[in-house]
Amino acid sequence: MWTDNSLHHPFQTRRDFLHRAWNGIGALGLGGLLADDLRGNDLLAEVPPVPGDPLRERLQVHGRKAKHCIFLFMQGGVSQMDSFEYKPRLRELHGQRMPDTGVSGELQGRLTFPHECVGSPFEFAPHGQSGRWMSSLFPHLAKKVDDLAFIHGIKTDNQNHGPSTYHVTTGSQFPGNPSVGSWIQYGLGTANQNMPGYVVIQDPRGAPVNGAAVWANGYLPAAYQGTLLRDKGVPILNLSRPHSLTEAEQRREFDKIKRLNELHLAARPGASELEARISAYELAFRMQTAAPEIVDVSGEPESIKKLYGLDNDKTAGFGRQCLLARRLVERGVRYTMLINGVQIGGDSWDHHGKVKDGMIKKSAEVDLPVAGLLEDLKQRGLLEETLVVWASEMGRTPFVNGSASGTPGREHNSYALCMWMAGGNVKGGATAGKTDDYSLRSVGEPIHVRDIHATILDLMGLNDEKLNYLHAGRIRRLTDIGGHVISEIIA
Amino acid sequence: MNQIARPHAASIAAEIRALSRNFMKGCRCFFTAAALLTLAAGSRGAGAAGPEEWPYSRPLDSPPPEVKSADRVVNPIDAFVLQKLEANGLTLAPEADRRALVRRLYFDLIGLPPTPEQVEAFVNNPAQNAYGELVDSLLADPRHGERWAKFWLDLARYADTAGYEGDPDLPHAWRYRDYVINSFNRDKPYNEFIREQLAGDEFEEIMGAGELPSATPEQAVALTFLRLAPFTEPRGDESRHEMLGEMTSTVSSVFLGLTVGCAKCHDHKYDRIPTKDFYRMQAFFNTVQIAPPERGDIFQIGGPLPADFYREGEKEWAENKRKELHGIQGQLDALRADFGNRAGGALPDEKQLPDAKQRADKLDEWIGDPANEAISGAEREQFLELKERLPFVKQHLKRLQPMAMTLRHSLGPPYEPGVPVTRVMLRGEYDKPGEPVEAGFLSCITGSQEPARIRLDPFKRWPTRSRRMALAQWIASPENPLTARVMVNRLWAQHFGRGIVPTLSDFGKLSGGPSHPELLDWLAHRFVEHNWSLKAMHRLMVNSGTYRQSSMSGSDRAALVDPDNTLLSRSNRRRVEAEAVRDAVLAVSGRLNPEVFGLPIFPPLPEDIAQRVKYDQSKWATDRGPDGRKRSIYIYQQRTLTMPFMQSFDGLVCEDSVPERRLSVTPLQALEMYNGDLVNVEVKHFAARVIKDAGDDPERRLERAFAIAFGRAPTAAEITELRVDAASDEKLTGLCRILFNASEFVYVD
Repeated sequence: MWTDNSLHHPFQTRRDFLHRAWNGIGALGLGGLLADDLRGNDLLAEVPPVPGDPLRERLQVHGRKAKHCIFLFMQGGVSQMDSFEYKPRLRELHGQRMPDTGVSGELQGRLTFPHECVGSPFEFAPHGQSGRWMSSLFPHLAKKVDDLAFIHGIKTDNQNHGPSTYHVTTGSQFPGNPSVGSWIQYGLGTANQNMPGYVVIQDPRGAPVNGAAVWANGYLPAAYQGTLLRDKGVPILNLSRPHSLTEAEQRREFDKIKRLNELHLAARPGASELEARISAYELAFRMQTAAPEIVDVSGEPESIKKLYGLDNDKTAGFGRQCLLARRLVERGVRYTMLINGVQIGGDSWDHHGKVKDGMIKKSAEVDLPVAGLLEDLKQRGLLEETLVVWASEMGRTPFVNGSASGTPGREHNSYALCMWMAGGNVKGGATAGKTDDYSLRSVGEPIHVRDIHATILDLMGLNDEKLNYLHAGRIRRLTDIGGHVISEIIA
Repeated sequence: MNQIARPHAASIAAEIRALSRNFMKGCRCFFTAAALLTLAAGSRGAGAAGPEEWPYSRPLDSPPPEVKSADRVVNPIDAFVLQKLEANGLTLAPEADRRALVRRLYFDLIGLPPTPEQVEAFVNNPAQNAYGELVDSLLADPRHGERWAKFWLDLARYADTAGYEGDPDLPHAWRYRDYVINSFNRDKPYNEFIREQLAGDEFEEIMGAGELPSATPEQAVALTFLRLAPFTEPRGDESRHEMLGEMTSTVSSVFLGLTVGCAKCHDHKYDRIPTKDFYRMQAFFNTVQIAPPERGDIFQIGGPLPADFYREGEKEWAENKRKELHGIQGQLDALRADFGNRAGGALPDEKQLPDAKQRADKLDEWIGDPANEAISGAEREQFLELKERLPFVKQHLKRLQPMAMTLRHSLGPPYEPGVPVTRVMLRGEYDKPGEPVEAGFLSCITGSQEPARIRLDPFKRWPTRSRRMALAQWIASPENPLTARVMVNRLWAQHFGRGIVPTLSDFGKLSGGPSHPELLDWLAHRFVEHNWSLKAMHRLMVNSGTYRQSSMSGSDRAALVDPDNTLLSRSNRRRVEAEAVRDAVLAVSGRLNPEVFGLPIFPPLPEDIAQRVKYDQSKWATDRGPDGRKRSIYIYQQRTLTMPFMQSFDGLVCEDSVPERRLSVTPLQALEMYNGDLVNVEVKHFAARVIKDAGDDPERRLERAFAIAFGRAPTAAEITELRVDAASDEKLTGLCRILFNASEFVYVD
């Protein structure tokens, strides 16, 4: 809604602004603004949600191929110099103090303690047309390397688990904010009206740090919250009808509810929220059939199950998560978040000690399934329209506080998170950002998490500066003060 | 915009974007390019205004205006409302019928539906003042505080855990929840309520030598308000900077309705709040001292301080509860002794295994072994159940210690450091100190940046004391132009569905100002005049003719000139809040546990949520008995887990101050109400209640079920539709489920 015209006449009050927004809506032909769900708020999005039907699909603001996003979140901090960043110099320095790099803040604090550099124990080799160096931990992903664009040296605002998890998943290190998936739903709605548009599949071993707040809608309406797809029993909470009822009996009761609500509405003409409620019941009814069908993978061919590693205990967990993600994409679900790792401990990517053993274990869980997912999306022509994002909480340090002999680990590093993206308009084989010879921190213009979020929104056809929401007197958005779209990785 | 020539807007926007990137890094606010452009052009709308401008000017006490429809004026509120309506060619809608009114009042004032008997008593009350009497009785009902406390707890960002990694328990936070309920029920004057929460430890003025006076237990508990922000592993100066900054922002938005927090990093872009004022205000908090973490707290969240139980009967209640909980430990010990005697040689003795702890583990292992025939299945089950409950019991015992999540002022020299220098922090960053500032009130209100006068004791023995009290007294003063306005506007929004100022925690320029400025000011004056009594304000508002209007859509003209119903030509129909949905289900089934106050409750969670979203063994001690059916206000507020039922109805566990709830409509609500455990357990009890009251006759059953659920008789069309469902006991459960899912169950006209 910010046209050049509005630049010349900035709004003076929220009311002026809303007044103008109203006119804008009229021009778009989206009349009939109603009910509580608007209160002016939703008008701040460039293409506002339809009141009473907040999840109805809407067009992208600028044309991008991606219609879906799969966000792979690795709980903990994936060690970038043991996975996707080849740092031969670090190996030469193994067991020695870090050279003076002039760092400040927390990193500098850590370096005043006894410490030794830890070279990567893994072999690196170039792969694909792009000749990108990858560690031997990711043999399957290495075959897909020409589809991936890497971003190095990403700065996060906090190096503790709680805040950094919030930061990467919601754009702020502080709790209470909507997650990336909520923003995308708010901006685009969803294509599948029989399923929630934002689905989360957590590690079968348990919940991530910060729990359900990681997929919360924050101050956005409840319609935009992530829905947890459960790996046992019914896939969505409260999805199965009450015991003892057949489907026909339930349909009969739903019809009665509908009839009663229609009588109630008839006595209150024009009450749009009551109309919306009647539709919500119908959607709920359809979800009961649609959701169980999605999680039932028994009909998938053996070759596909194998592709995702369902035939192997190590990979079956994340493999099933990846396979479900593809099935969700096929059915039009807008945003899927897969979480690998639980809280902090042996099952997460948080290797303060024994980084070698830890990385072997964790990479073995995800390497094949992620490569399988990319392969499967591609062979079905879905990779074009699906943005896949690999993320973690933070990077790790090239040194260990203590001795590098024995089984060293690595500390947290909020200056060198490494991520990759694939699919949609992502330019495969591209690289953005760079870290120094030790992967201690970035060199050149630093890339911040808000730049990552701006890029994700851009690749989904949204403009991060125009996806706004008025909350508690402030216009809020995912990227806060605004991010740079990382054009190097966009085709 | 003024007359400054400007280059092409887009290029300026680009430049400002680049500038803002550099200057505003790390700041939590952002502003649109357009707004920044306004700045660049030098036209800060509010910049030139002084304290005479709204909302910084004192409220005017205008007399209620003359209106044409004088017969519709029940109290002066209506005159103000009618004036605006008549100016737009509108008037008030007819008064709602008594059945609609009684339901509206019950949900609004106590958060529960009326029973059929309560509905009939009101509908058939011939007294002239039947309505006023009902209002008075509901305001005197102890359930009034339970309903209205939640509105305050949302503002106070109340939770029972600290959030973040580990989401550690705040075992004493619940006492603050009870403090709020109790304060509302006793109609504590709002100015006192403010002073207690900001400066409960600084009430007593020191006139001479002697011991430092301490806060009363109630005042200590009230101070929990300042401790409720999420808290994560501290990082030294940075954490203290964040903590004091959060107090400053929250206090400003809650009590003053000003987004002072925006000025932490840069001068406020819309309101006259320079960065310096943020730090001048923060300086009132700079002698805050929180207790160090308790031993064993690996998350280092800071500890509680002593505060005795103080309410009538509270001490005895706590003592009894403690005994009850200790009983479980005793029972376990007795079972162990009994089973241990049966073990004989099956277990190692002291010589074989000298470590007592290891021997105890062996015993438990042996008891738990299903192959062990010395113990019956039932005995084993009882033992394991008690054992599983033990960590929860221990945590409850901790909650019952006479402590509070409170704070105090530091003692100052020679015991503790003196008053630290507060500095402006450049760009809001903790390690970029700028110029020093003295504690002082907001200049947009006072018109100057003079330091505040802080009244120390005569010998200045406690220089660190009285700083927060100085701030609290300034806020809670009748002279403060915002405090009373902001609070009456909050109450108004709860009663009428939207505020006179629509942004409840932001009275600044972006609010757009009040829709009825004279009315807001008139209410603010009455509030102070009635000794800051909240109940007096509730009474005034709900007795008005404006409140009593019907919610049925009004004239075509209203739809045209006032589609948002800002002018109030009818009442706003509303979905009840998450807490009231759950409470109404339990009230209708007849199983709501009416017990007031106490430890947090843990209602059953669906499926395996309790196991999956938790961090340690002491979380979510599911209450399967009556405790789990107390009112929703008592539900444990775990920051990493909002109960799915509450969440689907926009209930939330607060992270920061929440001025109002969304009231959305989603399919997950339908799944919750139709398929969910709560409803499907309670339908059986609802059905049983109907059968007990109405016997076998289908029509009598229908009448009774409708009376309980909606407070009215079924219509002919409804009887035709549903008669068959009331015909058999089996079907009746389905009928009850249908009624729980009706729009009328969750919407109040």
